[in-house]
Amino acid sequence: MVDSNRTDPAMGNGLPAFIMGFVPGLLQWQLGQKQRAVVALLSCTAVLFLGWMVVGERLFYWGLGVPDGKSAFDNVAQLGLPVLPEVLNLPAQILGSLLSYDGTATGLRLQRLPRDLEHIAGWVTAASGMLAAFWAAAGHWELRLRRDGQARDAGAAPRPAANPALCAGLSWLVPGLGHARAGQRDKGVVMGVAVTIVFALGLVFSSGHAVDRAQYGVWWIGQNLFGGGSLFAALVTGPMRSVETPIDLDLGIVLCTVAGLMNLVVMCDAFTVAERSVFPLRPGAAKTANEGAKA
Amino acid sequence: MELFFRIAVYVPVLFLVAVVVVAQQHTTAQATLQGAAARTARWGVWSLALLAAMTLLELLFIGW
Repeated sequence: MVDSNRTDPAMGNGLPAFIMGFVPGLLQWQLGQKQRAVVALLSCTAVLFLGWMVVGERLFYWGLGVPDGKSAFDNVAQLGLPVLPEVLNLPAQILGSLLSYDGTATGLRLQRLPRDLEHIAGWVTAASGMLAAFWAAAGHWELRLRRDGQARDAGAAPRPAANPALCAGLSWLVPGLGHARAGQRDKGVVMGVAVTIVFALGLVFSSGHAVDRAQYGVWWIGQNLFGGGSLFAALVTGPMRSVETPIDLDLGIVLCTVAGLMNLVVMCDAFTVAERSVFPLRPGAAKTANEGAKA
Repeated sequence: MELFFRIAVYVPVLFLVAVVVVAQQHTTAQATLQGAAARTARWGVWSLALLAAMTLLELLFIGW
């Protein structure tokens, strides 16, 4: 274990490394992990295009801004940049957008046309963005390990209890699983149960219609931060026919989104728990954190 | 009945959000749950204060 004595242990890896994180595998390539880099790029690209084969240009319609051939925002939208979380897998997302964008009236109509299996395909394309984010997190972790770890451990990089990026990824699918992997099993169970109950309450109040990318695309961006929940919704509740609008639909949508945002905290904490197995809080910082907990 | 329903949803959800927030500062489930209970009580007081402030604003600008 390495006790970091940096003045700012939470210091990032800088803007260039942050930007490189948007290209899956680029950080690994820079670190000399060429096989990993190729696997990262291929896995993210393959997963995106697997979903893209079904949803195609409909992804444009699910973004924060829909290209309409008129607005100033159109050039950005045509590149698929407002589509979250796919944009985290930037090269494949831009490539797919360039290949499939059609600004004609027919093309714009196709964006609005529902497809068979679009719920699960939409989840798969989103998973490619999340996968890219976890590869980037793995690259950032490796950078941190080399920067702060080797300097304090005679050149040999220390190993964490579990890979922090893997812990974050596991928590995305099953909240709390990353904590279990990093050694805080009971805390992981409590956090996971909390996220799952809020998500389930949202589905119950909305009669299962709260998590639907085709209907509530912007809310879905937050809901998808709980990957296991949004996968369940894509497979089970999303394709259900909506006969009438449930009375508490709004409440359900908000609760599912809150659950997704809660899981973002869980993912970050799982990363941190694994990270601290190598870089524990310094005594001063730990004291500050405990005071914060008591306040 | 409507108020009861809102409270019945709000308070448990507040507690569950507190669990996730507080857990970042603890390493065990027991400490997390204890911290979350205290945090929920504090957030509940703030919620009441916010509610009172909003009701006051409503009375001032819209009337009874």
